[in-house]
Amino acid sequence: MPSPSIRQLFWAVARDVNRTFGGGYAAMELMRRTFTRQGWLDDAGNALLMAVSRLTPGTNVLAYCVGLGWRLRGTAGAMAALVGGSLPASILIAVLAATVARVDQYRSVQIAIAVGSAIAVVLVFSAAWHLLRPYMFRPGRARTGVIVLVTVALLLLDVTPVRILLVAAAVGIVVLRSDR
Amino acid sequence: MNVLLLYGLLLKATMTSFAGLGSLPQIERDFVETHQVLTAEQLGEAVLVGRSTPGPIGAYVVAVGYLAAGWPGAIAGWLAMITPAVLAVPLLIVVQRWIHLPHTRAAVDAIVLASGVLLVATGVRLAVEAAQQLMRVFRVG
Repeated sequence: MPSPSIRQLFWAVARDVNRTFGGGYAAMELMRRTFTRQGWLDDAGNALLMAVSRLTPGTNVLAYCVGLGWRLRGTAGAMAALVGGSLPASILIAVLAATVARVDQYRSVQIAIAVGSAIAVVLVFSAAWHLLRPYMFRPGRARTGVIVLVTVALLLLDVTPVRILLVAAAVGIVVLRSDR
Repeated sequence: MNVLLLYGLLLKATMTSFAGLGSLPQIERDFVETHQVLTAEQLGEAVLVGRSTPGPIGAYVVAVGYLAAGWPGAIAGWLAMITPAVLAVPLLIVVQRWIHLPHTRAAVDAIVLASGVLLVATGVRLAVEAAQQLMRVFRVG
């Protein structure tokens, strides 16, 4: 699988992460699209990065950036992706905090944020579809059903996402054993 | 506020959360209640600034750092935000090393599946918020 240069990696991550509203999952979906289109990442690699980023403390999208950069270009790639994914937005936020600029009071900004949030929703559902799709059309659908049911039940019980993922992992192993 | 202490407090909050605004309760406790370097209003302002800009939602800690200690504080906030992400590398190494084993594969598959379901739930929540935001902006209803 081809790899981007450090510079390509930095700019691709900086562009995709720092142009989305509504959270990191929309940014992850944009990065998945960019990197798979270039042949730098496949769906299995993306799924692994999503899983690991969910289990990493802190901001999920930055963990995704680090994992992505590390897989493609080692330590330098991880650092480039981390800086690219975090620095532009951080500078903007610090400047806004420094000027006490309440940009959200302007109507044009309110419209941009609202439209950006709506676009983010589409991207989040697209990301979910790409994660779930492989499991819908392959053997072992009973196992898939059990894990989905357990996840939904825990969600309804207001269990934290990390605990849900750990329970899901344990259920996955138990169901595998019972299948044998 | 001492920048090292600021970094330590923000790092405690980011290391013990697993989503953008998940660190907010800890930051509120440390900065507003215990050390009283921010008012609740300033903390709300930091969150608003973070949400008004594109990029990671967790980046609001940069604004918290700035409001608590100026530019050095903003740098401390940025460092506290990015530090936990480095843990993704050892996690990825462990998972990749053992991914060929059936049990690891089953656990990872289950986590990916559960992540997909959690994303759907997030998408539904965001859709409701986005619809409310659009209605507010365009004054519907």
